[in-house]
Amino acid sequence: MPNKVVTIKNTLGLHLRAALKLVNLAHQYKSDIYLQKDDIRANGKSMLGIITLGASCGSSVEIMTNGSDAQELLDSVIQLIERKFDEEE
Amino acid sequence: MKKPKFLTVEELLREKKDYLELELLSGRSGLKNRILKAGVQLPGLALAGYMKKLDPERIQIIGGTEVEYLSSLKKEDRAKILTGLSKVSLCCLLITKGLDPPIDLKKHSEDKGIPLLRSGLQTSILIRRLINYMEEKLAEEMCLHGALLDIFGVGVLVLGRSGIGKSECALDLVTRGHQLVTDDIVRVSLLPPDVLMGTGFDLTRYHIEIRGIGIIDIKEIFGVASVQGKKRIELAILMEEWNEEEYDRAGLDSHTMEFLGINIPMIRMPVAPGRNLAVIFEVAVRNFLLKKEGVHSAMDLDRKIKSQLGN
Repeated sequence: MPNKVVTIKNTLGLHLRAALKLVNLAHQYKSDIYLQKDDIRANGKSMLGIITLGASCGSSVEIMTNGSDAQELLDSVIQLIERKFDEEE
Repeated sequence: MKKPKFLTVEELLREKKDYLELELLSGRSGLKNRILKAGVQLPGLALAGYMKKLDPERIQIIGGTEVEYLSSLKKEDRAKILTGLSKVSLCCLLITKGLDPPIDLKKHSEDKGIPLLRSGLQTSILIRRLINYMEEKLAEEMCLHGALLDIFGVGVLVLGRSGIGKSECALDLVTRGHQLVTDDIVRVSLLPPDVLMGTGFDLTRYHIEIRGIGIIDIKEIFGVASVQGKKRIELAILMEEWNEEEYDRAGLDSHTMEFLGINIPMIRMPVAPGRNLAVIFEVAVRNFLLKKEGVHSAMDLDRKIKSQLGN
């Protein structure tokens, strides 16, 4: 089960549009994805789930994937977060 | 993913000061002490000298009997008991009925940094309220991806992969007069001994996402009677794609699903175009309620068939 802890880098944090980008990306893969912050664990394919985390800029989120294309899914989600969701600062 | 849960004495005072009629008498330096267990202890035997079972993780309740007993002791005997007590780092002492603690107990609490609280309530009432509150606070918890609804008074947890139509089904049920507790993310906690309580999270509470519309607030659209803050989970419905697998056609067997060590009845529900799921969910709940009353349609029919067949 590939997983990694990442830091949210975009100024706005995991707001609605960022969550939407993440969900759309996750839906391109078959594997399951979960995001965890503190004691909240959300399905990465659910927008409401992701925003429930309340992950602001600088907070750590653990990403867990599971399935046939789990590693690819994990990598592309990490890239999206590293790219700050392609948002203008 | 599980973290040890605790409650600090400070938190207890902040949240339940009025309800439990609490005041802090001494031991302020121990306000950050952690209460780890929801049960309380009446340390009668410990005060008599048997310290073995004294549990530092629980609140120690000093009731009328304990105060009377301590006061009846000679000063040096009381000192011996307090020395014994100090070997265990107790999290908190709580005197009931507004009683005055023996002066050396107060000093002991101050010296050792054990908060000594006093409640104006009777011991039995205090214990009941305290345990209720702490069980909820210290409950084991987990997060689930799914929806929780109140259908005919039964808490129904709807599970299934993302995109299978849980939210649409939830919306359909709300328009039929049932209540939404949460969608997409459910926080489940175990209230001892066996109650699974489900709720949502403040930020996204009562919101659901409907593809084609976006995120909507059920409470705003349908009103306050269409939602509920929390609900005991009694039935799980797992939505699945309709495939060639065998589904329960007769209804003779029952299945369960485990959450936090508690098994609850589970129905596997195949999804296909043209199946009105809201109606089927309603009937599933009616059937569940009947079974709880001891009426089992499938088994009753089976019995009739068997007797016809001369078995």
